[in-house]
Amino acid sequence: MAALVELDRVGVAFRAQRRLGSERYWALEDVSVSLERGHRLGVVGRNGAGKSTLLRLVAGILEPDRGTVRRAPVTCQLLSLTLGFVGHLSGRDNAILSGLLLGLSRRQIEARIEAIREFSELGDFFEQPIASYSSGMVMRLGFSVAIQVEPDVLLIDEVLAVGDAHFQEKSGRALHERLREGCTVVIVSHEESKLADLCDRLLWIEHGRSVMEGPFDEVIAAYHRELHVGEGG
Amino acid sequence: MRHHLTELVLFSTYAELRAERARSYLGFVWWLAEPAMMMAAFWIVFDVILDTGGRDYLPFLLIGLVVWQWMKSCITHAGHAIWTNLGLIRQVRVPVLIFPFVQMFADTVKFGCVFVLLLAILWLLGFPPNRAYAALPLLLLSIFVCAAGAGLVVAALMPLVPDLRFVIEQVLTVVMFLSGVAFALRNVPDWLMTANPVLVLLDAVRGVLMYGTWPDWPALARATAASFAAGAIGVGLVLRFAPRYPKMAV
Repeated sequence: MAALVELDRVGVAFRAQRRLGSERYWALEDVSVSLERGHRLGVVGRNGAGKSTLLRLVAGILEPDRGTVRRAPVTCQLLSLTLGFVGHLSGRDNAILSGLLLGLSRRQIEARIEAIREFSELGDFFEQPIASYSSGMVMRLGFSVAIQVEPDVLLIDEVLAVGDAHFQEKSGRALHERLREGCTVVIVSHEESKLADLCDRLLWIEHGRSVMEGPFDEVIAAYHRELHVGEGG
Repeated sequence: MRHHLTELVLFSTYAELRAERARSYLGFVWWLAEPAMMMAAFWIVFDVILDTGGRDYLPFLLIGLVVWQWMKSCITHAGHAIWTNLGLIRQVRVPVLIFPFVQMFADTVKFGCVFVLLLAILWLLGFPPNRAYAALPLLLLSIFVCAAGAGLVVAALMPLVPDLRFVIEQVLTVVMFLSGVAFALRNVPDWLMTANPVLVLLDAVRGVLMYGTWPDWPALARATAASFAAGAIGVGLVLRFAPRYPKMAV
């Protein structure tokens, strides 16, 4: 099967400071992975391993400083909540603006605007400026918009549920339903139980390098062995 | 991700204007009140107190300030646009050129309102519409391209060198004084006339609006060509540096 996205020994470097002659550091040094249609790939690794940078690379937000990225003509979208939100605009206007930034057309958003309003449970607040919202209400609106986007490859960075207990369950369920529809997905999370539930493959990266990639059970077992060795040593 | 760019730019422009209106009690009123207050300040200082204005100073001043404010707003707002949106650029793959253009379109909408008011005031002052108004669309387009060119160059460089924001205001003040915005420049050296497109463009607008004279076409063509060249350089720089912006610290 042809890969939708293929990373071959990629590296991404950032500058630590905005100063003349400041050193570059490599957030990703040498990662290779191939993502095929229908894959549900989890990514594990300790803090600072380069997991979020990897997602932004797959999304096309970042370009590699070394190695190559081959991408079939598909859309890859990072699930971003509250993308482009403006405090002085109403929930409706922010939903349209955020939807446009996420790649939807105005017509697609208008067709889904009632679904967004209903899912967010904002009621009359939907027409009010979001500056008057609580942080939980903003996140509810953000999730309601983001879940409407249907890219070929969905990229999720720890956003598995938001809001209060009731909305967490509702948003988590909606996300699971989306993933069960068979879309290709890459998920970064520290919640291994979630990854076990959602993913069939796993990529383990450390210090910006891919250590192992394969079936979930094999990789998670190796990852745990390494963690215990590290703790023991 | 494929974007519906025209819709994104138009709605972002609308959102920018809506948000700006919401940021103050008087909202849209400030679009007219702010330039009116600035014009009044210049008129009181240069004409009423210092008496340096001369005949037809008021229309001269109004035209200069209205056009210059449009250009200055476009350059400064577009110049900051990519830098202030770095947070967004780090989250989503989006053509960064939209950010300066949204700012310039929002400023152009506001300018449109002020410009219509300016034409009405000029009529009241005894400068009615004339045949040379036919040159206005071309002139206004040249002015927009000139401002866009400068704005895009600043926009491209600002994320790399944010220190530019401390310099840009002073540079624009110098350009304003060298362009005869608030008072007529006497004995303008030829090289300045050639090197400063703002001077040529302002001169042409005043000629049309006040005296019904057609622009100096060769000079206008040179100024417009320089503006398009600046625009091309600006677009080229933004596209050249675009891969670096998502890696910038916010």
